[in-house]
Amino acid sequence: MATLELSVQDEMVSTPVRGRRKLGLLFWLASGWVAIILSLAILAPLLPLQNPVDMDMLERRAPFSTEHWLGTDGLGRDELARLIFGARVSLTVGLIAPMIGLVVGGALGLLAGYFRGRFETLVVGSMDVLLAFPPLIFALAVTAYLGQSIPNLTLILGVLGIPAFMRVARAATLTLARREFVIAAEALGASHARILLRELLPNVLLPLLAFFLLGVAVTIVVEGALSFLGLGVPPPMASWGSMIGEGRESLDVAPRLAFLPAAALFVTVLAFNLVGDTLRALTDPRQGAL
Amino acid sequence: MLNFVVRRLLAILPVLLAVSLLTFLIASLLPGDLAFVILGDQATPENVAALRRDMGLDQPLWWRYLSWLGHVLQGDLGRSFRTGQTVLQAVAERIPVSLQLMLMAEFIGLVIGVPVAIACAARAGGAFDRFMTGSAFAMLSMPSFLTAILLIYLFAVELHWLPATGYVPFTEEPLANLRFFVLPALTLALAEWPGIMRVLRSDMIATLQEDYIALAKAKGLKPSRILFVHALKPSSLTLVTVTGINIGRLLGGTLIVESIFALPGIGRLLVGAIYTRDLVILQGVVLLVACGFVIVNFIVDMLYAVLDPRIRHGHA
Amino acid sequence: MTNIAAAVRKHVPILLVAALALAGPAQAQKPGGSITVGQELDIPGFDPLKVGVYDTSTFTAAAAIFDTLTTLDDKGEAAPKLAVSWTHSDDYKSWTFKLRQGVKFHDGTPFNAQAVKENFDRQKDPANKCRCAFYITNVREVLAPDEYTLVYNLTDPSVNWPAVITIQSQNNAVHSPTAWKTKGDDYNRNPVGTGPYILKSWTAGDRMVLEKNPNYWDKGRPYLDRIVLKPLPDAQSRFASLQSGEADIIWDDENDADNIMKAQKDPKLTVHTYKGSGAQVYAFNTKVAPFDDVRVRQALVMAIDRPKMSQAISNGLSRPATNPYGDGSWVKCKDDGALPFDVEKAKALIKDYGKPVEFKMLVTATPRGRMIGQVLQQFWKRVGANMEIEQVDQATIPSRAFTRQFQLTPWRIVDLADPDPQMYANFRSGSPLALSGFSNPDLDKLLDHARVTADLGQRTEDYCAISRLINKEAIWFWTFQNTYYALSSAKLKGFPKIYNGVIDVSNTWLE
Repeated sequence: MATLELSVQDEMVSTPVRGRRKLGLLFWLASGWVAIILSLAILAPLLPLQNPVDMDMLERRAPFSTEHWLGTDGLGRDELARLIFGARVSLTVGLIAPMIGLVVGGALGLLAGYFRGRFETLVVGSMDVLLAFPPLIFALAVTAYLGQSIPNLTLILGVLGIPAFMRVARAATLTLARREFVIAAEALGASHARILLRELLPNVLLPLLAFFLLGVAVTIVVEGALSFLGLGVPPPMASWGSMIGEGRESLDVAPRLAFLPAAALFVTVLAFNLVGDTLRALTDPRQGAL
Repeated sequence: MLNFVVRRLLAILPVLLAVSLLTFLIASLLPGDLAFVILGDQATPENVAALRRDMGLDQPLWWRYLSWLGHVLQGDLGRSFRTGQTVLQAVAERIPVSLQLMLMAEFIGLVIGVPVAIACAARAGGAFDRFMTGSAFAMLSMPSFLTAILLIYLFAVELHWLPATGYVPFTEEPLANLRFFVLPALTLALAEWPGIMRVLRSDMIATLQEDYIALAKAKGLKPSRILFVHALKPSSLTLVTVTGINIGRLLGGTLIVESIFALPGIGRLLVGAIYTRDLVILQGVVLLVACGFVIVNFIVDMLYAVLDPRIRHGHA
Repeated sequence: MTNIAAAVRKHVPILLVAALALAGPAQAQKPGGSITVGQELDIPGFDPLKVGVYDTSTFTAAAAIFDTLTTLDDKGEAAPKLAVSWTHSDDYKSWTFKLRQGVKFHDGTPFNAQAVKENFDRQKDPANKCRCAFYITNVREVLAPDEYTLVYNLTDPSVNWPAVITIQSQNNAVHSPTAWKTKGDDYNRNPVGTGPYILKSWTAGDRMVLEKNPNYWDKGRPYLDRIVLKPLPDAQSRFASLQSGEADIIWDDENDADNIMKAQKDPKLTVHTYKGSGAQVYAFNTKVAPFDDVRVRQALVMAIDRPKMSQAISNGLSRPATNPYGDGSWVKCKDDGALPFDVEKAKALIKDYGKPVEFKMLVTATPRGRMIGQVLQQFWKRVGANMEIEQVDQATIPSRAFTRQFQLTPWRIVDLADPDPQMYANFRSGSPLALSGFSNPDLDKLLDHARVTADLGQRTEDYCAISRLINKEAIWFWTFQNTYYALSSAKLKGFPKIYNGVIDVSNTWLE
């Protein structure tokens, strides 16, 4: 999946030194969108929506109406309700999976960057193994083994995200470990644990958190791709990806069934990328923005 | 330099070994006993037991791994129980499709990415630069399956300009072949060019700030000459590296595009192998793809080292 | 000679919905030209030992490369092909075929009774562990008393044998013994038969090119110079290639209802429909809760509104089924004992059962599998039963079914000339395919009786009683009858009925 590698490329791209301090209108628009989608997803059960799985089999692919604001899907289910409940699934997976990457990858990267030596070689080597695998094949095989469910899906995507987080944390640690305050702490005889937790962790956390938002964007995309192929969330639950996949079947009869969730997915991913990228630029230790 | 190459080569051996182990484990753990799959309606307990014995499935896992690895090291990746093809035959049949797709995608990506990057770098911060940087950023948020659907809807369903899916070999009908490849290659290229453009642009901006460029300007050289000869040339090596990374990634990563556009490439071969439980094909092809990825990465690393001598001596 | 067989076949009503322009024999066949067939699946190969069972796409290729002993004419009666005539013993347990003389396989090997016998022996040999052997368990032996006489000795009477062996299946296609012996593992992808077309080239996942056999025994046939078979798994693109003329005929099914309806309105296209016997069916595992209770099974069956479901999944094209035989079978029942659609009764039964009804159903991990799964889930939710969809790929379903690791699984009863092979396998207690794990002496008695009876009326009685028993116990249920579709360019002529679900283009020509 192309997008999983986004981090590697971004690391190589030094963003232009422009508008660093000003967050800009786009940033606020994007944050606003993320806030709206998040609250819709959280409040979905409380909203006056129709049941997203109830079918009206004689009202398939109905156009927009006062009863169904965004029409109905191929099995006569309310499109608006499915979009909002789909956001719930996409965001649940999108937020929790990168947390796995953040915690495991972050810790591994921090330790590898600090201790170096054999441990670093081992960590980097095992990450290379994970990266060498075609990620979708990995996901396919593991879902086939564990069965399709949201927790399993989250777990797989989380594991696939570990190498990227590891790289970010390790790069940040490598830079920081050479900084005066760390060297000073070492000279003062501080223990490894103290240096790791008190000096390094708070400083590594910022770039990691910024990267986390990019991870959310990537995870939403990969979840979408898996669900699009029918390997993501189990039906009748909706996710944006599965809705796009189902909508593809009637692309020439009712293209909106694919394009509505597609637009939602694109705007949300873009918003997370925008917020994440802006914050990353602000917190990049290499730019001395601490 | 030789020392460095040897060191790096030794480092990838354990990675390759671990890749083979992981490959084997994943294939072996897939649900659906192979003996049942092969025997189907004939799966009486006695038949299953006999077949499992014949195929060595009753042996412990580690033993099966070692014997598989032994065969692999002798160049024998096995035969599909379904079609009787060897892994190498199956791959050889599919790889032209994946290669063609990859090369066309990379080519279109470069055709879009490079001129845009040059134009942006020439007037960094200008309106065009800001617009294209923004577009590139937006494109990075566009998953390939979305791009594919949009392109199919536009060019196949609405305009009827291009076929939605299908394939003919280039050797039989070159023109029809290219028509089939336009949309899938464009889908991948639209995901590729932002990366190419961003890397090249920032690289060139940095180069344009170097002293010798200022010198060239002072000497009154034409801006276009400075841009193409003096600034693009040093950056082109970076370009080679980025392209290398992309190719490594696309080796096993065109699965979605191949599925949507029904191209009989490596990705479809793998998905088919998972669905039909063709474990021999699955193990063999994943191993080849993963090794390809590791080797391409190795070559890219070497290129880096050639480009930047600091890496050879520092940490790698 | 084959009066009963003929009578049996005559009862098969065949309807061609939009294929009214289909060529009659009076029309002049034009030789030459080439067609492309859009298929659903990529063909894995032809060696029965390797592939076990042919799928729909392989059938089409097999019908061109191989010949069978008999074929079905357009009245649905067995007609000569590699066999020129046949007789049977009084008890219908022994069938003797006289074979056509002077026929050669593509590799020059002469065709004779010994070749057919070797084909059979190879499949039957326990050492070969062929999946295909399952389908010939009722054949005790095949003998070749002289070069052009072949005798089938069956374990049980089969009144319909010459019609049963018309399908171009793994068991009936006659392969060249020389070819499989010399080619070994490579034979699978280099098949050699006596058929009207010869395999010229084959790229997996892409295309198979068949060229006219210049020495075909039926002089003047085939008409086309070349047939190209292409796997086009995506229904939309398959239809698009038919519209654009890249394909001349495509396989289709009713789940592609939008396109079938579009083709019906298009004067340049022809829709070929064949209402076959059999149905899409589902088996409850009666050994595990909650399906060990007949009330739950009955409630779930009563909750299904088939006409509505047909609307939802195929714009109403699917024909509801109330028994496993269907309108396409010669088994016609006045009373098949089908449970009515009755939501209130279903709710009452579930309530009566007392415990919560929760279970998992296997569905294939395809858009169509998911769609059907979700619709059934919806019906059952309305009567208070919670079904969870478990998506598995096609390859896993047989192994899950045979090991009884399921609660509810989809299955298929395909169009065959006689109901016995499938009904016996699916419902006789002790059969590996009796997925429900249900055993009932009355049912066994009826199945045994239907199997050995020659009288058509008697057999119909038996099969209707079987249907009533299964419907009452609700151990399996049927949703829709089998309807087979092929869409073609209106220029393609001579396309026969889709017997057995096989798209046979070997005798077609272009106008």
